[in-house]
Amino acid sequence: MTDCGCEKAKSDLEEYLHHELARREYADISEHLANCADCSDEVHVGRVLTDAVKRACRDTAPEDLRLQVISSLRVTISH
Amino acid sequence: MGLTLLTAPPETDLLAQLHSLGMSSPSEPVRSAADAAAELASLVASQDDADDDLLHPVDENAADDDIDDAADLAASPDGVEEETVADTVEEGLDDAEPDQAQLRVLFEEQALPFIDQLYGAAMRMTRNPADAQDLVQETFVKAFGAFRSFQQGTNLKAWLYRILTNTYINSYRKKQRDPYKASTDDLEEWQLGAAQSTTSASRTSRSAEAEAIDHLPDSTVKDALQSISEDFRLAVYLADVEGFSYQEIADIMHTPVGTVMSRLHRGRRLLRERLTEYAQERGIAMGAVSRRTAPTRKGA
Repeated sequence: MTDCGCEKAKSDLEEYLHHELARREYADISEHLANCADCSDEVHVGRVLTDAVKRACRDTAPEDLRLQVISSLRVTISH
Repeated sequence: MGLTLLTAPPETDLLAQLHSLGMSSPSEPVRSAADAAAELASLVASQDDADDDLLHPVDENAADDDIDDAADLAASPDGVEEETVADTVEEGLDDAEPDQAQLRVLFEEQALPFIDQLYGAAMRMTRNPADAQDLVQETFVKAFGAFRSFQQGTNLKAWLYRILTNTYINSYRKKQRDPYKASTDDLEEWQLGAAQSTTSASRTSRSAEAEAIDHLPDSTVKDALQSISEDFRLAVYLADVEGFSYQEIADIMHTPVGTVMSRLHRGRRLLRERLTEYAQERGIAMGAVSRRTAPTRKGA
């Protein structure tokens, strides 16, 4: 077992969630999470938070803007 | 002529790329020219050059950078590039270097699809649609001006975000300098106390918290995000919405990776805290049935 324990899991939780850990560390924390309900709940909240932000921030540029950009690119060509 | 380029201002890694890529004098064809021409070959065909007559290079952005990391790659070369390209074409070297119309086709094809995402980021930065639109517009114009320096095959999205961020810092944040200048990394420390306490909540309340956050309307989540300070908000946006790596965010925001980490951590803690507060204020029962999971318990 390479379970890293709660302290390490909690301190690296954000890096775990954002895929910023080396493979070994990632595996250690994954193993801990499999055995620790407390830490895996914390990961769950973190994921829900990410999903909520992602969902809320799906913006679509106004069509006018797209047209303006296209026309300004054409005007930018020099002679 | 292309030589004017040699006088180009500050040295950033991106400007260095400018020199090493397709921006050199027409008499010294560069290695990227052939690649670019090959990539373009299939695209060009029907492009007419009619609009070549109109124009004026857009260069209002120059000389605006009193923020040191604002050595914006797009700020300097715009005007110069127009001239270089025009000269190149006149001298009949257009098989070696793509002309502006070809470049535009490639740019529209590659960069324009990012407009929704850039607009989303611009909304997070400026917090209002009119400024966000101006910012995106300016970003595309600058990006196109510098597109010849973009190295095909590298991360175009990150490159565009970098120009967006530079443009924002130079042109927009300036206007609101005072309110935001202080938004540095230790300012909201006092607010973290409450957030810390949620982290040590009991299991039951933690899963209730997740459900409550999951329940919140998008507008509430956006409001909460808009309410945290800019540096935190952008770090969260770039990581969680756009999926950039820490290193990419560091490049975009011109900060060390460690700073990115602390902004992201703090931003997310603050956000979590505010969302939980919103949920409580709005009477969303902690422990109510999630709208995104099967309703197996009694509803709110």
